[in-house]
Amino acid sequence: MGNKVTDELLSTVRSIVGSEYSDMDIIRALHLAKNDATAAINIIFDTPNFKSKELPAIPKTPRVSRTVASNSSKRNGFENQNSNSNSIVREANATDCSVSDSGEGFVEEEDVSRESSLGDEWWFVGCSEVSGLSTSKGRRVKTGDEVVFTFPLKSSSSRSPSPGKVFGKGRQHAAGACSEIVRFSTIESGEIGRIPNEWARCLLPLVRDKKVKVEGCCKSSPDVLGIMDTILLSISVYLNSSMFRKHHQNSLKAASNAAEESVVHPLPNLFRLLGLIPSKKAEFTPSDLYTRKRPLNLEDSSGLRASLLHVNKSTNPSRNENEVENEESISDADLDNIVGVGNCSELEEMDPPGTLQCELRPYQKQALHWMIQLEKGQCLDEAATTLHPCWEAYRLADKRELVVYLNAFSGDATTEFPSTLQMARGGILADAMGLGKTIMTISLLLAHSERGGSSSSQYMSHPSSEDSEPSGMLDHCQDPPKKTTKISGFDKLMKQKNILINGGNLIVCPMTLLGQWKAEIETHAQPGILSLYVHYGQSRPKDARTLAQSDVVITTYGVLASEFLAENAEDNGGLYSVRWFRVILDEAHTIKSSKSQISMAATALVADRRWCLTGTPIQNNLEDIYSLLRFLKVEPWGTWAWWNKLVQKPFEEGDERGLKLVQSILKPIMLRRTKSSTDREGRPIIVLPPADIQVIYCELTEAEKDFYDALFRRSKVKFDQFVEQGRVLHNYASILELLLRLRQCCDHPFLVMSRGDTQEFSDLNKLAKRFLKGSHNAQEGEAKDVPSRAYVQEVVEELRKGEKGECPICLEAFEDAVLTPCAHRLCRECLLASWRNPTSGLCPVCRKIISKQDLITAPTESRFQIDIEKNWVESSKVVALLHELENLRFSGSKSIVFSQWTAFLDLLQIPLSRNNISFVRLDGTLNLQQREKVLKQFSEDSNILVLLMSLKAGGVGINLTAASNAFVLDPWWNPAVEEQAVMRIHRIGQTKSVMIKRFIVKGTVEERMEAVQARKQRMISGALTDQEVRTARIEELKMLFT
Amino acid sequence: MANSNLPRRIIKETQRLLSEPAPGISASPSEDNMRYFNVMILGPTQSPYEGGVFKLELFLPEEYPMAAPKVPFAYASEPNHFYEEPNYLEGIDWDSVFIPNLSGCCGEIEVRFLTKIYHPNIDKLGRICLDILKDKWSPALQIRTVLLSIQALLSAPNPDDPLSENIAKHWKTNEAEAVETAKEWTRLYASGA
Repeated sequence: MGNKVTDELLSTVRSIVGSEYSDMDIIRALHLAKNDATAAINIIFDTPNFKSKELPAIPKTPRVSRTVASNSSKRNGFENQNSNSNSIVREANATDCSVSDSGEGFVEEEDVSRESSLGDEWWFVGCSEVSGLSTSKGRRVKTGDEVVFTFPLKSSSSRSPSPGKVFGKGRQHAAGACSEIVRFSTIESGEIGRIPNEWARCLLPLVRDKKVKVEGCCKSSPDVLGIMDTILLSISVYLNSSMFRKHHQNSLKAASNAAEESVVHPLPNLFRLLGLIPSKKAEFTPSDLYTRKRPLNLEDSSGLRASLLHVNKSTNPSRNENEVENEESISDADLDNIVGVGNCSELEEMDPPGTLQCELRPYQKQALHWMIQLEKGQCLDEAATTLHPCWEAYRLADKRELVVYLNAFSGDATTEFPSTLQMARGGILADAMGLGKTIMTISLLLAHSERGGSSSSQYMSHPSSEDSEPSGMLDHCQDPPKKTTKISGFDKLMKQKNILINGGNLIVCPMTLLGQWKAEIETHAQPGILSLYVHYGQSRPKDARTLAQSDVVITTYGVLASEFLAENAEDNGGLYSVRWFRVILDEAHTIKSSKSQISMAATALVADRRWCLTGTPIQNNLEDIYSLLRFLKVEPWGTWAWWNKLVQKPFEEGDERGLKLVQSILKPIMLRRTKSSTDREGRPIIVLPPADIQVIYCELTEAEKDFYDALFRRSKVKFDQFVEQGRVLHNYASILELLLRLRQCCDHPFLVMSRGDTQEFSDLNKLAKRFLKGSHNAQEGEAKDVPSRAYVQEVVEELRKGEKGECPICLEAFEDAVLTPCAHRLCRECLLASWRNPTSGLCPVCRKIISKQDLITAPTESRFQIDIEKNWVESSKVVALLHELENLRFSGSKSIVFSQWTAFLDLLQIPLSRNNISFVRLDGTLNLQQREKVLKQFSEDSNILVLLMSLKAGGVGINLTAASNAFVLDPWWNPAVEEQAVMRIHRIGQTKSVMIKRFIVKGTVEERMEAVQARKQRMISGALTDQEVRTARIEELKMLFT
Repeated sequence: MANSNLPRRIIKETQRLLSEPAPGISASPSEDNMRYFNVMILGPTQSPYEGGVFKLELFLPEEYPMAAPKVPFAYASEPNHFYEEPNYLEGIDWDSVFIPNLSGCCGEIEVRFLTKIYHPNIDKLGRICLDILKDKWSPALQIRTVLLSIQALLSAPNPDDPLSENIAKHWKTNEAEAVETAKEWTRLYASGA
C-alpha cells in the first residue's frame, strides 16, 4: 500500500461515516479507493460488513450460496477419485462449510467440492504446508477447519452479476482492490490471515486465469490468534487442463514473441513451492543461468564494451528508408570482439566425399568435420525419446497419474512429450567473407544428405501413442486420462506435421546469389549426385513433391516470405509443405530483424537441421543474433523474454555478463575464422596475394571549386539554421540530402543537376502505351475522365519533340515535370503544392482525383538537365580514374569501378566510350539473368576491362576475382561497406596481386568524411551514453560542414 | 505595400493581361497594390448587357494561386465603395457580410462587380455566383480565365443557381421583362461612364 492516508482525508471520511468505524476501517477503505474520499465512503456504506473483524465479530449469518447436500455429494465423488492419493490431507477434517461472503467484494475461492463435478478438468497437483500469517486478534481456528481463500481481482474487471457462482469470477470489491494479498477465512471466524507473498504471487495470476484452484485447511495454530501469529495450513492445488491447451495453439504465424516480456512464470514457481520434484529434471534451467553468470563476472574484462553495438539504437531519427545512408554496420574487428573468433586450429579435419570435385583446404575440412558433428548431436531416434533440456517432467499427485511437462524458461506446460527433436541441430558458419563458405556447405551436402524426417518418421506419426513412448522413461501414457487431455487443436497440428512431405536440402539465399549457388553446386559436385532445383520466379510450381524430389532446392528470401504469407502455407504445396532434411540460410543476416516477415518465415520452416551462413552474424545490433538463434531453435534463446533479460538488457546496460553469455551461447554453435586466422602451426589458414590499398587525393579544378564552394555555402546556411534552431537531429534527412549533393559534386558537378527517377519511363513508347492502355481499360464506365487517345498522342508527340511548354501553375518552363494519369503536365513541386493532402489531390487542370503514385515523371532526354554528351567535361576525379585505367590498359588487368550513384556510372560511360575502354555495367536495375550475363561477360571476355558497379548492387557474395583492381570513387559513410565491396576481388580464387584505390577530393566534404569514419570507429569502440552519442552525432555533422 | 514580394506568377499574368488582353476585357493592377486589379468587362453582344461597360474589382489573396484558408472577403454595404487596404474591414455592415464556405476556399481570386447590374447570379453587392471562384477553384486557373468566365456568365445567366433570389424569380417568371430590366439597368448604370 504505497499511498499514504492523510489525517485530513481520514477526518473527512469520518465526518460522514461517523464514529462507528475505526480508523483502520477508514484507512482500509481509503486504500481501496486509492485515497478518493467519496469512493471510500461509498465503499464503507455499500459494503454491509465492511467494519473490520476486530470490532463486533462478523455477522454470524453466513450468506452461504449453496446447499450442503448437493455439495457433499459432489465432494464424495471427488474424494473417491482421489482416494488413493494419500497426500490429500484436507479430506480428513474438512468441514463442509465455507463463507461465501457476498458482502465482501473479493473473489471467493470456492470450496473444491463445488468444483468436483468438473473433476475431469481439474488435476490434483499436490499439497503442501503453508505458514499463513494471522491478521486477526482474538479469533479462533481449530485444526482441521477448512479455510477459504480470497483472491483480489484485477481492478478493471466488472462486478459479476452472480456472486460466487462461477469459479474465479466472484464479486470484486466496489472500489476495485488490486492488492496482491491473498487472505483466508473460516466460516467460524471470518478472515483470519493471509498467505505468504511468494505463494500469493504465483497463485494469483493462475487463479485469475482459472488455471489453478486452491483449497486448504488449518493444520495447526495457536488457540487464540494474535496478529502475526503463524497459522499452519495445508493446501492442495489443482491444475486445470486448459493450461495445456494454450501451448498448442501457437500457430505458425503467431510468432510475435517479442511482446512476451515477462520471464517470471508462476507455474514453475508454484511447482517449486509445492515441493514437487521433477521426475525428470531439465538440464538447463533459469537458475543455472543466474548462477552461471556469477563466475562470468569475475573473468577478466578483455576490453569489451557493452556499447559496442547499441549506440545507434536510440539515436537514429531517420530509421526508415534513409537508413541505408547512415547505417552503421559494425566493422569486422568489432564483430570479432563480440562474437569471438574461435580458436579453431584444434578442430579435427574431415576429408570430403569423393563426389566433391575440388580440393578442400585444411580449414575447410575442419569446418566439414565440425558441421557433421553438430548435425549428429544425438541420432534422431534417440533425440525423439530424450527430454528437451529446457523442459522438466512432473508427475502430478492426481490419481490419474498425469505427467506434466513444464518449460523452465517459458512457463509453458504441456502433456506432450517435448523431445530434443525440437532442439537445434546445426549452427552458424560465420567464416569471414572469402573463405569459401559455399564450398564448405556443398561438401556438407555431399557428405550427408537424406530426406527430412526419414529416421524419425515413426516418431512423428505417433507422437503420443504407446509404441513410440520412451521406454523406461516414464510410464504415464498408458493411462486413459491422458487421452482426455489430448486437444483437438493439438491433433490438428500433429496432423499437419504428418502430411508434410519429407524433402532434402533447402538453400535460401539472396536473389543475386541464386545463379552462383547453382553454378557452384554444378561445378563442384560430381554430376548426377545431387539433383538440383531452383524454386524461383512467378511460374514456380506449387508442388511439394517436386520440391521434395530434389536433393537440393535453392530459393530466395523473397520467395520464402511470399510463400510464408500465403494462405494455408502448409497445404499449398510450397516450401512449407515439406519437412526438410536441412535448411541453409545463406547470408543469414538477412533475417537479422526478428520482427520482420522474413525472419518469421525462416523460423517457421520445418527442418531437421538448420544452418546459417553469414560473414556478419551481427550487422548493427546484438539483437541480430537473437533472430539467428530463434531460427536455429537454440533454446531458450528463441524466447525473446529470456534473451532480453539475460543478454540484451545487461549488454545495453553495460553489464559485460550479457556479452559473455552471448559468447558462451555461440561458442558451441558457431564457427568463425577470418583471413588472419592461423592453423595449428600458426600459419595463416589462407594465403591471398597481397593487396595494395591506396588513397588517391584529387584536386578540384578552378571551375569545379567555384561550383563546389557555391554549393557548400548554400548548404551550410541551411545547416547552420538547423543548428541554431537546435533541430539538427529532426532534420536529419534534409541534412543528409545536403551532404549527398556535396558528395556528388565531388564526383562530378553534373550529378548535382541530375534527377534520380527518370529510369522507368524514359522510353516514350512505353509511356504512350501506358496511357493508351489506361484509357482502354477504363472504356466502360468513366470513359470521359480519361484523356482521349488523340490528346494522349499529342502530349506524347509534344514530349517526343521535346517541346518546352509551361507549367499551368507557375507559368514557367517545366521544372521536373510530371504527368498526371489524365495526361496533364505540371512541375512536380507546383502540383504537390496545390494539394492540401500530401499524397493525393485534384488535377489542377481537369479536377480528376489523382494520387502521388499515379504521377509519372515526364521523360526528358536524360536524367541530366543538360546535354551531357555535348557539354561533356571531365571532372578531376574522372581524369584521375582515366589515368589509372589507361595505365592498366595494356596489362590486360581487369578493374571494377565502384560508385554509390548510378548517375555517376552513367557519366563515366561517356569518357570510357570515348577512350575506347570497353566496359560492362552492373547495377540494381538488372534482373537475375542480366546480372549473370554481365558477370559472365566480364570474367570471360578478355576485351572487357572495366566493370562499372554500384556499391550497393554488388551487394553480397558475388565473386569477382577476375578483376584485380578496384577503384572506389566515392567514400561511403562506413568503411565496412567499402571493405565488403573491395573484398569481392580479394578473396579465395584471386591469383594476382590486388590493387585497391580510393578516390578522395581534397578540401571537400569527402576528406572530412574520412575523419568522421575514423571518429566513428572510435565511437563504436568507446563507451558513450545516449546523450553523448547524440551530441557526438551533431558534432559529426558539424565537422562535415566546416 | 507588399509589391516587392510579388510572386513571379502574378507578375507574369499581369504582363500578359496588359500585353495581350482578352477581347472585351481589360484588367490593370492598382498602383498601390499590385494584387488589386481594376477590371472592365464589356457587355457581350446579344446579351441584355450589350453596350454596357462593367467595372469590377479583383483581388489576389496572399496564397494565390495555391490553397490556403484566409480571411473571408468582406463587402461594404455601399456597392460603389472602393475599399482600401488595410482598413477595408472598417465600416462594414456585418449583416451583409458574405462569408464564403471556408471548406471550399482555396486562395481563390476575390472579384465583384462595382457597377450595378441586373443579373440572377450577381447580387446587389456585386458578388458573383460562380463555382470556379469557390469550391471549384484550381491553381491552374488565372485572372484571365476567371474574367472570361464572368463574361460568359453575362451571356448566359443561370437563374437556376441564383445569388439574387428576386432577380432569379423575375427571370423565371417573366424572362422578357427581366431582360428588359437588365437592359434598362445597363443603360442607367453601365453606359460607358
